[in-house]
Amino acid sequence: MTRLVCPFCGPRHLREFEFHKTVAAPGAGAFARVYERIDSTELSVEHWQHVGGCRGWLEVRRNPSTGAVLGIELLGGGGEQ
Amino acid sequence: MLASRHGAPIDAPPPVRSHPSRQRRNCGRSGGAPVSRPKPHYSAWSLLRARFAREGYWRPLWTGRALRDAYDVVVVGAGGHGLATAFHLARDHGIRRVAVLEKRLVGYGNVGRNTTIVRSNYLLPENHHFYEDSLRRWETLSRELNYNVMYSPRGVVDLALSDDDLSGMARRGNAMRLAGIDAELLDLGALERLCPELEPRRERRFPIVGALVQRRGGTVRHDAVAWGYARAATALGVDVIEDCEVTGVRTAAGVASGVETSRGYVKAERIVFATAGHTGMIGTMLGVPLPIETHLLQAMASEPIKPLLHTVLVYVFPGHGETYICQSDRGGLVMGGHLDGFPSYTREGRWDRLEEVVEGAVSLLPQIAGVKILRQWAGTNDMTMDGSPIIDRLRYDNVFVNAGWCYGGFKAIPASGAACARFVATGAAPDLIRGYRLSRFATGHLLDERGGGPFPVRL
Repeated sequence: MTRLVCPFCGPRHLREFEFHKTVAAPGAGAFARVYERIDSTELSVEHWQHVGGCRGWLEVRRNPSTGAVLGIELLGGGGEQ
Repeated sequence: MLASRHGAPIDAPPPVRSHPSRQRRNCGRSGGAPVSRPKPHYSAWSLLRARFAREGYWRPLWTGRALRDAYDVVVVGAGGHGLATAFHLARDHGIRRVAVLEKRLVGYGNVGRNTTIVRSNYLLPENHHFYEDSLRRWETLSRELNYNVMYSPRGVVDLALSDDDLSGMARRGNAMRLAGIDAELLDLGALERLCPELEPRRERRFPIVGALVQRRGGTVRHDAVAWGYARAATALGVDVIEDCEVTGVRTAAGVASGVETSRGYVKAERIVFATAGHTGMIGTMLGVPLPIETHLLQAMASEPIKPLLHTVLVYVFPGHGETYICQSDRGGLVMGGHLDGFPSYTREGRWDRLEEVVEGAVSLLPQIAGVKILRQWAGTNDMTMDGSPIIDRLRYDNVFVNAGWCYGGFKAIPASGAACARFVATGAAPDLIRGYRLSRFATGHLLDERGGGPFPVRL
């Protein structure tokens, strides 16, 4: 994995992006959202930010065993935080 | 970097024929283990005997044990922590029916992938007391295991590039000294005397202003640690079973009754998970979400060169880069830096991180610019949400987890093994690991050494 495809900016080098955290299961409580992580070898759902580009917040779905990117979407229409 | 499956490394003392009086009695339900035990003691005399012995003199140190049906304690993972826990269970608490089950090979995981650094220069009391206990054990470990782990107290030097850095180091050094741990703040003159090869006064883009040194810190030969513990545990009757993957835990009446493995069901009174880098998967297996993400940390080694570097240098440079570098006894420069920065099980390592680490190394020691990188590798790390480890029960009263060592697991091995074994044997956590409870995340007693909040990565 050396590139991510930003929905705004297109394919960019990995170093432009900053990983934030893996996402809690839907409906998880406050404690779980802050501290607990779902560990799966097949699917990791993560929040990233394109800090070296449009600064948009992204939801990235990846396979952590192979490094394959399964999908990238903009989070909540962008501009979060 | 991998442990050899059979026998000793070239530079370890040779195993010799088993001593009849120390041969373990054949107590196996499935036929026991019909292998000869390694000679109980290595010495100059045993070396000399091996030199003049016939072929076939060399014996495996831990292979060939048969898996039995039931154990008092099953330890999952034959890495440093698992083997050390098994060793202390057998030696300190007299629990001999212990098995260490390993998916791959002894020492295949992080104990064979780290950069061999040992130190106890932590700020928080829970951490520096624990790691100091570990460092004291490293000092005598070769004798305890009767196996040379090549502890080399060459000094761990944290370099300061600004007055801010230096104040932070003074604070950490003072915290250590209050706890009776050696720490020294060095000015440029003292640093020059300690590391002349560094030429601290040389003009640089990021000038060095001082350093914090822990002189008892240094390096230990990592593979020898795995082999030494495996040998010592086996000699005490522990079964080290390789190529045996644990796939589940069977329960009865609210407690765990055994583990499902790739070689069938094994009954166990108590179970210890010491699966560094894969503890998140254990949590998923037991249905307990853990405060752990699995990240990669990579390291690299250069071709061997003549002795150049006599300390361990830790260099955190502006632009969020980090390089730590030491020279192995064979002459290779061993380097590492930050985590890769996102969850991964690939064990590949990202190239721009390698580039950053090498950039840091060359800016620190320009004389190594022409040295070639021989190999690069990565290991998976349990990154907890406060950067400190977890030793606690997990879901069931008789299931224990020894995990979350982040990137500091290697230096913790001796203390972790002793403390975890005592916890498992007596059921009460020793004071040394009271702070490492899993419940600290819920109660707010975090051990956030970095002060960075509930994120394993903050660049």
